[in-house]
Amino acid sequence: MAHSPDRAGDDAPVAVIVVRTGGIAGLRREWRAEPPPDERDRWIELIEQCPWDEVTGNGRGADRFAWDVKARCADREHDAKLADDEVEGPWRRLIDEVRELAGSSPPHAPRATTGRRDGPPAPV
Amino acid sequence: MPHAIVPPYLLARIASIREPEFARAAEAARETLAVTREYRPPRRSRLRLSLDGADTLVAEKTPAPDRTISDAQNREELPGVVVRREDDPPTGDTAVDEAFDGLGSTFDFMWDAFLRDSISGAGSELLATVHFGRDYDNAFWDGRRMVFGDGDGEIFAGFTGSLSVIAHELGHGVIESAGGLLYRGQSGALNESVADVFGALAEQHRADQTADQASWLIGEGIFTDAVEGRALRSMIEPGTAYDDDVLGRDPQPAHMSDYIVTSDDNGGVHLNSGIPNRAFALAATALGGRAWERAGLVWYRALTSGTLSRTADFVQFAAATLAAAEAEYGEESEEVDAVRSGWVGVGVIGNGSQP
Repeated sequence: MAHSPDRAGDDAPVAVIVVRTGGIAGLRREWRAEPPPDERDRWIELIEQCPWDEVTGNGRGADRFAWDVKARCADREHDAKLADDEVEGPWRRLIDEVRELAGSSPPHAPRATTGRRDGPPAPV
Repeated sequence: MPHAIVPPYLLARIASIREPEFARAAEAARETLAVTREYRPPRRSRLRLSLDGADTLVAEKTPAPDRTISDAQNREELPGVVVRREDDPPTGDTAVDEAFDGLGSTFDFMWDAFLRDSISGAGSELLATVHFGRDYDNAFWDGRRMVFGDGDGEIFAGFTGSLSVIAHELGHGVIESAGGLLYRGQSGALNESVADVFGALAEQHRADQTADQASWLIGEGIFTDAVEGRALRSMIEPGTAYDDDVLGRDPQPAHMSDYIVTSDDNGGVHLNSGIPNRAFALAATALGGRAWERAGLVWYRALTSGTLSRTADFVQFAAATLAAAEAEYGEESEEVDAVRSGWVGVGVIGNGSQP
C-alpha cells in the first residue's frame, strides 16, 4: 500500500532498521540508519514507496536470506518481513540506502540478540 | 512424434521424390516432417569399471551427471553466463571448477548410496551459478539451481570449496523433488537437517570414511583464517562449530530441552536443525561403518516414502525413520535400535516410546 508522505510531524526523527537472518550460515546482521535532517524528505519518500502491506515473507527455495524491515517515519511506524526474492524495486533501494548509511554491525550468531530459549513447543 | 519408426533421413528422401506415382507418399512424408518434434536429450550414461572380489572386473553402465555452471559476474541476477558444460574442460576459474567437481561428487554419492539419478531421480540437469553478487555471504537453492556467492573475504572465504555446502544445496533440490518439507519451524529445520545429512554423507563418500572417521562438520573451510571456528555446524556436537569474538558462539541446540523459539530465520530453521542432525549422527555412529549404507539409507527412505507430510514435525519424522528402518531391516534389527536411540538421545522421543 502506498502512503503519501506525511509532513505533519516535521520534528519526528526518521529511522530505519534492517535485520537480515537465515542464509546457509544462519547468522544475524543488523543495519540501523537515522538520516540527517536535510535528507529527511527523501528518506520519507523512500520509506513510503515500499508496499508495506503487500509482502508475505514467503519465497521459494532454501537458504535464502530472511529480512525484517522496521521504519519510523514522521508519525507512522512500519514493519514488514520479506523473503529474499521480495527485496526488489523500492525495497531494494531502501535497504541499500540503509546499509550504505549505517555501515553495519558485524554478523553474529543469533542467540545473543534474538534467540529466546523458551523451551520446546510441545511435550517430549 | 517423438518416437517415430521411420527415421527422419528416410522421410526426407521420400519427401523429395518428384515422380507422379509417388506423389501421395511424398506429400505424406512432407507433412510428417512438418510436425514439431519434442526434443528429448538422451540421458547421459557412462561405463564404470570396478573389481568384484579379487579377480573379477565388472563393467556396468550407470547414469552420468549433466552439469551446467554459469557465472553471475558479480551481479545478483540469475542464471548468468554459461561458462562450463558437461563435456567442457576445466576453466581455470576456481569457483567454476569447484562447483563442477562438487556437483559431480554429489551425483556419484546419490547414485552409489541410493541409486538416485540426479535431483529428480530421472536424470535431471544439475544447474549452478557462481560469483553471485559482490562480497555475497551466502549459498542457496533458488528452487531450480544452486547459487554460490564469493564471500566477503573477511568472514567467508567463499562457498564452493566445501563439498558439504555444495551437496547441502543439491540436497535441498532432492528434498523438494521428493515432496518437500515446508521451510518454516520444525519442518523447515528438518529440511535443513536432511540437507546437512546429504552434505556430510557426500563428503564421507568421497573420502571413503566410516562414521567414526568422519568430522561431521558442515562447511569446513569456508571461514577465513580470521575466524575462530572449524565450520558452520557440527552434526555430532551441535553448538561447537565456532566460538569467535565477532561471530559469537555457534548457537545450535543439541537437545529438545534447548529448542529455540524465534521468528527470525523462518522460525530458526538453521538453529533447531542441530537437534535432528545429532539424532542422525548418533544413529550412524552407533551402527558404525559407512554412514550412507544404513543410517543414510533409512533417512533417504523416510524422505522419499511418499507418505511424509510437508509439515512434518520432529516426532513425525522420527516415526518415519523408524518405519523405514523396520521396513528395510526388520523390527528387531540393530538398525531400528540405533535409529530409536538417536531420537531418544536428543529428546524427540522418550525412551521405549513408539511414536
